[in-house]
Amino acid sequence: MTGEDLDWNEITVPVDLPEVIDPISYQRVVENSGATWDYFPGHFDPEYARGQGNPTIYVNTMHLAGFADRVATDWAGPGSRVVRRSMRLAGSIYAGDTMIGRARAVGKRCDTSKDPPRYLIDIEIQVVNQHGALCCPVELTLQMPNVAPDR
Amino acid sequence: MEQELSYQLTFGTYADALRMVGAKNEPRTAATPVNGARIQLFASMVHDGNRSYWDTEFARQRWGGLLAPPALLMGWLVPPPWQPGGRPPAASLALRVPLPGTTFINAANDVEFFEPVVEGDVLTAVEELVSVSPEKQTRLGVGHFVETLDTYSRQDGTVVATSRNTLFRFTPGAPS
Repeated sequence: MTGEDLDWNEITVPVDLPEVIDPISYQRVVENSGATWDYFPGHFDPEYARGQGNPTIYVNTMHLAGFADRVATDWAGPGSRVVRRSMRLAGSIYAGDTMIGRARAVGKRCDTSKDPPRYLIDIEIQVVNQHGALCCPVELTLQMPNVAPDR
Repeated sequence: MEQELSYQLTFGTYADALRMVGAKNEPRTAATPVNGARIQLFASMVHDGNRSYWDTEFARQRWGGLLAPPALLMGWLVPPPWQPGGRPPAASLALRVPLPGTTFINAANDVEFFEPVVEGDVLTAVEELVSVSPEKQTRLGVGHFVETLDTYSRQDGTVVATSRNTLFRFTPGAPS
């Protein structure tokens, strides 16, 4: 589409995506409430978070989802779009942690049930913390820019 | 305090909760249209340089306007932290399920995005209570998993996304 986008025809699966590393400061966790309007106190009040059994404040679902989407679209390009995302919140990313995204494209499909057909890439992402603990396994599907049909 | 009010929980028994399964709330419409300021504040928070969120001309050609980050979907329906006349009561159906748990944490989320959401769109959501699990013990405490299904449509009635969410409504405490 723009030259920045991967060409669906030329993607071979499975393929590993570049790892993304993102240190999460207290400021980032607080930015999270500001950007999402999610003022659940576990996201900005360390005392409340500790009362829940957590060591301190933690990022919300939207931030984890945004990180997963970033891992996928940084790789595929801005002409791609997330059309499906399935995530399990197995552990939390706390202020002071580092979020690491490791991903692999595992499937490549042309969905002909839609007109025009959709060119899709299935990606598995693991969001782990600096201790290697799996905090959030994600399955995500990208729709790629339309490509010239093989005719 | 306002932050407590905004997450006021409804209390009751598991039997009360089961009677609510299948309930839907009235459609709720976002307080503000999808807009570039919030798109870029979110992308900035995530450190996401995707041109679809930042480059107006690129986004107009590709999507018809700056693209709403898919991950911000549920954020558009959160009421602002303060409004003239008082903040409307927190609307989330998942929190209005009568249960004993004193707090909650999110457990899983599955979303499908049928159409791009772009600046100017006004989203409306309908929430449905799908299921409530029997009592479970986790590392955080004892509670119930609450599954809801949110359907998002835009101003022309087109359904743009569905979101199936599971949260854990629990009372903190170590396993005994």
